[in-house]
Amino acid sequence: MKNQYKIQMKSSLSFYSLLCLLFLSLACTDDFIEVDSFDEDSENFFNSEEDYESALIAAYDILQSTYINVMLGEIASNNTLAGGESATDVPGIQEIDDMVHTPVNQQLRDIWSWMFAGVNRANYILEFKDKTDFANKDIVLAEATFLRAYYYFELVKWFGDVPLAVDQRLLFGAQNEVERTPKAEVYAQIEQDLIFASETLPATQTQVGRATQGAALALLGKVYLYQDKFTEAATALETLINTNNYSLLETYDQLFENDFENNVESVFEVQYTDVEGAGFGCLQCSEGNVAVGFNGIRNYSGPVFESGFSFNVPTAEVYNLFDPADLRRDVAILDIEAWAAANSDVSFVEGFEHTGYYNRKYLARQGDLNTGDANLTNPNNYRAIRYADVLLMAAEALQRGGIDEGRAQGYLNEVRERAGLDPITVTGPDLLEAIYLDRRLELVGEGHHFFDLVRTGRAATAIDGFTSGKHEVFPIPSIEIELAGNRWAQNPGY
Amino acid sequence: MKNCIRILVFLCMGHFLMAQSTTVTGTVLDSETQEPLPGVNVVIKNSNTGTTTDFDGKFVLANVNENDVLVFSYISFVTKEVRYTGQTNLAINLQPDVAALDEVVVIGYGTQVKKEITGAVAVVGSETIEELNPTRIEQALQGQVAGVNITAESGSPGSGSNIRIRGISTNGDNRPLILVDGNVIEDLSVLNPGDIESINVLKDATAGIYGVRAANGVVLITTKTGSKNSPLKFSYDAYGGFQQTSRKIPVLNATEYALLVNEAFAAGGSAIPFTDLSNLGTGTDWQNEVFQNAPIFNHNLTVNGGSEKSRYSFGASLLTQDGIVGGSKANFKRYTTRLNYDTDLLENLKLTTNLIYTGTERKTLSENGIGSVLFNALNNAPTFAVRDANGAFTLAEGLGNEVINPLAQIENSFNSTDVDRISGKIGLAYDFWDNLSANSSIQFNYAEVQGRFFTPTIFYGAGKVFNNTGRNTLTVNKDIFKDYTWDNYITYSNTFNQDHKVQFTLGSSVFVTKGQFSGGTQGFFESPVNFAEADIANAVDLQNGLKDSGLSGKFDERLLSYFTRVQYDYKGKYLFSGVLRRDGSTKFGPENRFGYFPSGSLGWIVSEENFLANNAFVNFLKFRGSYGILGNDRIPGNAFRSILNGEGAYVFDGQLVFGQAVGVLSNPEIQWEEQKTLDIGVDLRLLDSRVDITADYFKKTTEGLLLQPQVSGILGASAPGAQAPVVNGGTVENSGFEFAIGYSPVRQEDFSIDLNYNVTFLNNEVTEVNNEAGFLQGGSFGIGQDPPARMKAGKPIGYFYGLETDGIFQNVDEVSAHATQPNAAPGDIRFVDQNNDGIIDANDRVDIGNPIPDATMGFNLSINYKQFDFGAYAFASVGNDIVRNYERNQPLVNKSVYAIDRWVGEGTSNTTPRLTTGATSNTLFSDYFVEDGSFVRLQNAQVGYTFPQAFMDRFGADKLRLYVSANNIFTFTEYRGYDPSASSGSPIGAGIDQGFYPVPRTFLLGVNLNF
Repeated sequence: MKNQYKIQMKSSLSFYSLLCLLFLSLACTDDFIEVDSFDEDSENFFNSEEDYESALIAAYDILQSTYINVMLGEIASNNTLAGGESATDVPGIQEIDDMVHTPVNQQLRDIWSWMFAGVNRANYILEFKDKTDFANKDIVLAEATFLRAYYYFELVKWFGDVPLAVDQRLLFGAQNEVERTPKAEVYAQIEQDLIFASETLPATQTQVGRATQGAALALLGKVYLYQDKFTEAATALETLINTNNYSLLETYDQLFENDFENNVESVFEVQYTDVEGAGFGCLQCSEGNVAVGFNGIRNYSGPVFESGFSFNVPTAEVYNLFDPADLRRDVAILDIEAWAAANSDVSFVEGFEHTGYYNRKYLARQGDLNTGDANLTNPNNYRAIRYADVLLMAAEALQRGGIDEGRAQGYLNEVRERAGLDPITVTGPDLLEAIYLDRRLELVGEGHHFFDLVRTGRAATAIDGFTSGKHEVFPIPSIEIELAGNRWAQNPGY
Repeated sequence: MKNCIRILVFLCMGHFLMAQSTTVTGTVLDSETQEPLPGVNVVIKNSNTGTTTDFDGKFVLANVNENDVLVFSYISFVTKEVRYTGQTNLAINLQPDVAALDEVVVIGYGTQVKKEITGAVAVVGSETIEELNPTRIEQALQGQVAGVNITAESGSPGSGSNIRIRGISTNGDNRPLILVDGNVIEDLSVLNPGDIESINVLKDATAGIYGVRAANGVVLITTKTGSKNSPLKFSYDAYGGFQQTSRKIPVLNATEYALLVNEAFAAGGSAIPFTDLSNLGTGTDWQNEVFQNAPIFNHNLTVNGGSEKSRYSFGASLLTQDGIVGGSKANFKRYTTRLNYDTDLLENLKLTTNLIYTGTERKTLSENGIGSVLFNALNNAPTFAVRDANGAFTLAEGLGNEVINPLAQIENSFNSTDVDRISGKIGLAYDFWDNLSANSSIQFNYAEVQGRFFTPTIFYGAGKVFNNTGRNTLTVNKDIFKDYTWDNYITYSNTFNQDHKVQFTLGSSVFVTKGQFSGGTQGFFESPVNFAEADIANAVDLQNGLKDSGLSGKFDERLLSYFTRVQYDYKGKYLFSGVLRRDGSTKFGPENRFGYFPSGSLGWIVSEENFLANNAFVNFLKFRGSYGILGNDRIPGNAFRSILNGEGAYVFDGQLVFGQAVGVLSNPEIQWEEQKTLDIGVDLRLLDSRVDITADYFKKTTEGLLLQPQVSGILGASAPGAQAPVVNGGTVENSGFEFAIGYSPVRQEDFSIDLNYNVTFLNNEVTEVNNEAGFLQGGSFGIGQDPPARMKAGKPIGYFYGLETDGIFQNVDEVSAHATQPNAAPGDIRFVDQNNDGIIDANDRVDIGNPIPDATMGFNLSINYKQFDFGAYAFASVGNDIVRNYERNQPLVNKSVYAIDRWVGEGTSNTTPRLTTGATSNTLFSDYFVEDGSFVRLQNAQVGYTFPQAFMDRFGADKLRLYVSANNIFTFTEYRGYDPSASSGSPIGAGIDQGFYPVPRTFLLGVNLNF
């Protein structure tokens, strides 16, 4: 047998060489799989003013999710009922109305989680506060500090003792270590934050919507008042009043219309817009005021308003509490039957616990963009702190602190005057009652009343089913206790 | 790839060793007919040198050494080995083999003779695909392969399927790795089933050669290629037909509806809505209105051929399918073209190429959930007409915010999603020295997905959540995906002392996938504009999703892998295979980036032993076993670090402004999820190979399960755009038994019968959930209720968690004797007080069902008689539960007919509760809503006629076959919903029927023409 070469030498070499080249480059070192992310790494951020500004916007973002705090704060009080479609429509809301809230309540868990998300975003900035310097850094840090105080104040109002983190994020793993910090310590931090913010922030900001000195002072006064620190409260609030930067809007009926957002009375306002869509999958992602759709008139068609889910319906009790001459009544509360009678083309459906009344301040108005889901993208700003609120808080602090009833009467009557009511001349407990009543009526539908009742010790008599020593705070969602390693005691009574 | 360095330099050394050889010629004939056999593979054993016979059965093979063994193999013929001792012209006779064991099976970076495979590998050939006429390739796997369970995500045109190989082994992505000619394909809708030659499913640890991502099994798809030395051949296959719904859910007619609604209102203390029932009649049957017969057409042209050195195959196809709901509004079109070309550049250097283009166009309607067309058809009141006296669609007033007129909905749904995809491969195989071969191939995919979604201003009724009272809105997006895989490996094969056969493979694989999501651009239009005319350039207002928020939308994910495999057999009787693979993935942090995945398998071909050789009863018997560790890295990218890709948007000065916030919370500790897989199997052939049995026991334990558990709210995971971190947090076990038997009772030239049956028993159990709560939950039921499905130790993954019922309260005494149950009254469901605390509440929830079937099985019958052929195929699923969640709980919506059997007084019903509009706990998630989803489905029946050859010769054609076929013919089930094969893809939350779009029944007329 004759021997033969397998293939011709020449072509063998060239192709073999080619193949070798292929194999040579195939072997990659391990750093081939070290790939940077296209988006920025949170640990390597804050390299410019823009970075701080960018993180600050994200910290503001969480304010929009406080719609649930506002809505539930109202529903928990004797001002409104849960409503909705049926007794089983959003059980968490129904429970809170009926004072039977269980530790398994998705809406309470939302408040817990969303407010801590806000705390974490504010702390993210403050954790890196020393990394890069720029001209207006103090203001950025003061805004972040204000926001941390805002979110922590919500947390103490709802849950009492909560884990306190200062200038550091709670990162994965921290949930197994942190304890609930006593409420007093959290309040001390809130006060400290707001004092810094009120001393650092400008009276007028570069952009509408940012926290100002006034916002910090008003919130500080409110925080003092919640702790019965009347002198400090009065000082903070009167400092704000005496700046003369704010005044009551002339007529109450314009206050809650979209054309009058961020008006002279607005001390701090949570900003919403209708330009971006939203869905039920992530309510906290909406740039609109979700509560407005939830408050809406069930299956409504007709002028002025748009329909919604008929939650948070005012009771006849609060409606009837208004003096018929009170200009605020028909602005604050819509009598839907009367409205339907007055307008021929109105139709609506009665929802669960239909009272005939709707929370008119925060009802969807026609004329917005109705970006889908239109119920979740209403642009109505939440008037978080109004000057009227500041006046009434100041009046309360002055009266309860025994500081000056004359000034207290003055502030109260300023509010009453706009409502078309006669001035109050009584003093002592009667004056306090008058302040309480006007506070309830002036601010009905704005989410304050439950906490006002609690902090003044009137909740048990006012709210059916309210148990003293228990219902002052809400239960920590049991899943949250479990997820933090089952170390925390539940709030008493739950 | 600048950081790739030269490691394998040794490969290039010493290529000057040469061998001595000669050229051999010969002819291969069919031993029965003595016809020449074209396309027979002729290879020198244990080498990669070979050729194929030409059209006259002749072959020429160079470089044959004396005493080389030549192997002649051909599909459906018994492989023959001939020792070359200097013959000048070999005359080879091959014997037909009905079920060829010597078929070559693709096993990953190589092939193996089926007989010698030691893993659990199943093969589905092109005949099965031709028989089933699937629109998607997954449908050809359903019931065909033991251990592989396919569930449709929906019956709508173009919708996907879930492939689960041996159960649900991870909480995340359970899809197997799918490789088409070595190319990673994630979306099987782009493949034309007519292009596929075979599908191999690797079910056990031998898939470990693919290391990472092989944990869910591997599906290897081979596309059609031509044959060398064969003339140009055309084949044209086409079918056309229509589809219809396989079921309508019986609901109340108008009179029944009004009666029952009145009863519910009266019970709830409200005024009755229908005071006069006399003129209501049967009213509108909304399901009849939305379902229609919808056409389906498919054309497929294939051109094959080959020269002495090359082979090629070209295919083109067109599929168009309308929806049984919405017709052309739910149309799906697919165009494909494919070119495969292989050539021998040199005798020992082979080039393999293919290129596939696929275009799909899909229109969809809302489906499978609240607000879907079918949900509306089921819930809309029969008392409403479709249109009012003016011809306008009626408004579903009073039926809650979610139920709308389904026909108005169809008319006002506008969208399209177009996918353009190009996939290709270039591979080189080079044989050198005597025993070595080197392979290098690059596979790539490039896809563009373009979507257009148009929402006109529309009013469906007061308060309807689907109203668009704002502006016409057009949302467009364009996402780009590109990936490539670069595989390189060398194989050494040799036989020592005739009995010791060794094969050694060493290689590397690089996989890179990159892409960009546009995030969608939304444009608003104030003046009337329709879908066709809407152009984002003319919008008055724009929202640029990602762009506005400053996010890149880009990703770049990579895998770097090295692998080695040793295969050894002794005398073809004792088989061993071992694999080690090292994978590196960008998904993990620097500490945990690399994983080592070993696996091994053993086989014993008992029938080769003397005591069984030539046994008349047992023709073949093999025991095999495998064990290995496989990896899984299918989690979102960058989970080990914290990236600012969350959402932070707020309003300053009335303008929406975007900031940056954290997305998925980071967990630097995460590492590979590992699956330990054991398989013990037996292959047996009896009675002249008329009976073919395969049985396997398997146990897969997945440890360090990658999951995104709920985490403490204090970490901020629920902020907009944020997500819980990924953790290694659980263990799941899947164990089971597979059995497949084939029987050919008749095997004559013009009459044959083949029967196949396979069954899989599967037991899924979670053994550990390592988060603080001890469980995970998912899925949805009703509105505002807790997630109904859980994952918890001791239970199957995704079991249903709710209240257990104990009949109906018959009277007041029963209510007061029972634990306190909110709103309970006679006629309400009685729930079991599991914890005996005297109160019925969420703490009384228990395991009330399992969505995973205990057993699935398939049955095939195929008969050929002269010119006729008949095939039928059935599939069954036993023991899976389904949650009925397509009924809206609202006073005025329509109800299924079972409501007629409701409780109306003591003793009237102990299963169906009373009707009331008042507050009731009957709607709480309980076993009242859990039904047995077992079913048997006659999936396909087909009769074909092939014209006689004499007739065909007159036209110069090779084959003409006509057939009629029906798919999804009948389903035997107790389940009350549309389709018991309903399934969502997620492990926790599967088996919840939200108004599942039924898989249609299809009638087809088809033709196969070869010329």
